[in-house]
Amino acid sequence: MSRILIVEDDDHIRSALRLMFEGEGFDVDDAPSGEVGVALFNRMRSDVAIVDLMLPGISGFDTCQALRSTSDVPIVIVSARDETADVVLGLESGADDYVTKPFVPAELLARVRAHLRRRPTSAGSFTLGRLRVIPDEGVVRDHDGTELHLTSTEFRLLTDLASVNGKVLSREDLLERVWGYDYFGDSRLVDVHIRRLRMKIEPDPANPSFLVTVRGAGYKLVL
Amino acid sequence: MLRRSLRLRLVFTFGVGALLLSSLFASLTYFSVQRLLVDNQQQTDLRETFANAALVRSTLYSSPPALGALLNSIEAATNSSVLVHTHHQWLSTSHGAATSDVSEEIVHAVDNGQVLHQTISTRGELFFIVGVPIPAVETQVFEVFRLYRLEHSLKTLALVLGLGALVTSVIGFGGGLWVSRRAVRPLLNVSRAAAAIADGELTTRLLVGQADQEVQQLTESFNTMVSRLVARMERDARFASDVSHELRSPLTTLTTTVSVLEQHRDELSPAGRESLDLLAADLSIFQSLVDDLLEIARSDAGSLAHVIEIVPVAELVRQSTRSAAQRLRIAEVPVEVSEAASALNVGVDRRRFERVMANLLGNAAHYAGGATAVRVESTNSHVTIDVDDAGPGVPADERESIFQRFFRGRAAHDRSLARGTGLGLALVRDHVAAFGGTIVVLESPEGGARFQLELPRREGDAE
Repeated sequence: MSRILIVEDDDHIRSALRLMFEGEGFDVDDAPSGEVGVALFNRMRSDVAIVDLMLPGISGFDTCQALRSTSDVPIVIVSARDETADVVLGLESGADDYVTKPFVPAELLARVRAHLRRRPTSAGSFTLGRLRVIPDEGVVRDHDGTELHLTSTEFRLLTDLASVNGKVLSREDLLERVWGYDYFGDSRLVDVHIRRLRMKIEPDPANPSFLVTVRGAGYKLVL
Repeated sequence: MLRRSLRLRLVFTFGVGALLLSSLFASLTYFSVQRLLVDNQQQTDLRETFANAALVRSTLYSSPPALGALLNSIEAATNSSVLVHTHHQWLSTSHGAATSDVSEEIVHAVDNGQVLHQTISTRGELFFIVGVPIPAVETQVFEVFRLYRLEHSLKTLALVLGLGALVTSVIGFGGGLWVSRRAVRPLLNVSRAAAAIADGELTTRLLVGQADQEVQQLTESFNTMVSRLVARMERDARFASDVSHELRSPLTTLTTTVSVLEQHRDELSPAGRESLDLLAADLSIFQSLVDDLLEIARSDAGSLAHVIEIVPVAELVRQSTRSAAQRLRIAEVPVEVSEAASALNVGVDRRRFERVMANLLGNAAHYAGGATAVRVESTNSHVTIDVDDAGPGVPADERESIFQRFFRGRAAHDRSLARGTGLGLALVRDHVAAFGGTIVVLESPEGGARFQLELPRREGDAE
């Protein structure tokens, strides 16, 4: 049984979501604000979280950051705002995914399930410059042993690119492999996560040397 | 027919005006000077002839044989020749003039006691002939003056005046060009700004600068007009956007609760299940409508933040077609990319381009038996993307109106077919226009409809 946290200030939407997820067999915690949501999460340790962006008190962005600071829980933003700037900012604040209102309920369910059933990657350990990536332990270590923190999505992105031995993966391939989506792809998801990953692993994120863009095709990892 | 051009007319007016005026003045000057010179010359010549006639008379009285010597000395001293006619025969010959130059009539007239003068042209030269009678000795003295000096002066004058007129006309044309450019420049600026605004660059304004007063007035009123129009457009679009936005929350509750009802479908009575199906079907249309309205409202406001990327067209079309087919749950549509187009880039907002393809393929699937092919080809400066379908085609008179909002064609009067939002193609055209492209509907070779997108080719590195 999976535990889902719903942070949504609109009573009607919150109740409807609760009913829907309960109907699908989830244990649901719901919160009308970011503050309540973060407190609830710290107590219940949900498996996945749905966060609205426009909240009273702390914003959805801040809520995502607060959740992310203590956990790798998959976060799906559900917002009426669908401007690229909002999507990017939402993903930058630590969310793994972004769905706009009004969503198709089946799509939201499929996305939440996809986040929950991520399979372990097949990649072995590898080295990126001064970094050592160890998929079995789920960690990335600097040469002096300090652990570098990657979210599960970032980690998955990195190891999936490593598992194809330098071949190029298109945005679609990555959506399917990392997010587990067959057809909901939004290429912004991939682009923003690639950028965040570069910030963490590249010596010079503006001129990536490991995680490179292949013109017109997608991304590849140079080992 | 050539369109009337203000510039051309100004240049023409100035140039032709200068030409006419300068020609008129040149002609007046020429003819007055010519008259003056000729009159002067004639008076001088008349006086000379009288003087010479007096000499001839006194010579004829005193020693007629010395006449030949006298005539020669006169001819040597002047540029004229003196001919003497007495008792119906010519008394002298001369090197400079022939007796035949003096006509019978003038000889006869002078014989009758008249003083006559005449200008004749012979042997390619002008001559001035003066005849003076000396009745006492029944003699007539004729003097033939060569006028080549006068002719030369007049030719020089004509040349100078002609050149003057020419230069004045050229200056007139030049002035016309300059004035017209100055006069027309503000108009061109206004027209360029208006075109830019029509193309959606709503921040375009005219620079006030250091223009003439009239131009400044035009500039200021133009800018005010544009600002007011833009403010109004923004208000309208914001209203539509706000309305759609406010609809989102209740709509989210509706769709979610309908999905909860779906979970409990088995517990419903047959009538309950049928109602649920109707509710779900119309709710999905309502949702698409709100989605489309919101997107179109924002596109109107120009606030639709397009994130234009330079992407290879082949990959873009293949990927969008595939993801649209998956999203719409329809069969995959084959994509053919011509050799020439395979290496080309276009500048689009990826997500919105996907929306364009999804709308076109969705339309084909719902109304026209599905899309048969998507073809990408290249022209000189553009890339064309054809989406062909297997339907009956679009009637010629609906090919433009089909892109209007909420347009319902004849084919869609059947309620079961009229399930779209009526905004799909309007949105397609708005998006394509935002990419700097166009879309038209044509007839495919197989008789179906062909939606043809044309996007400008873009240089630069694709991401």
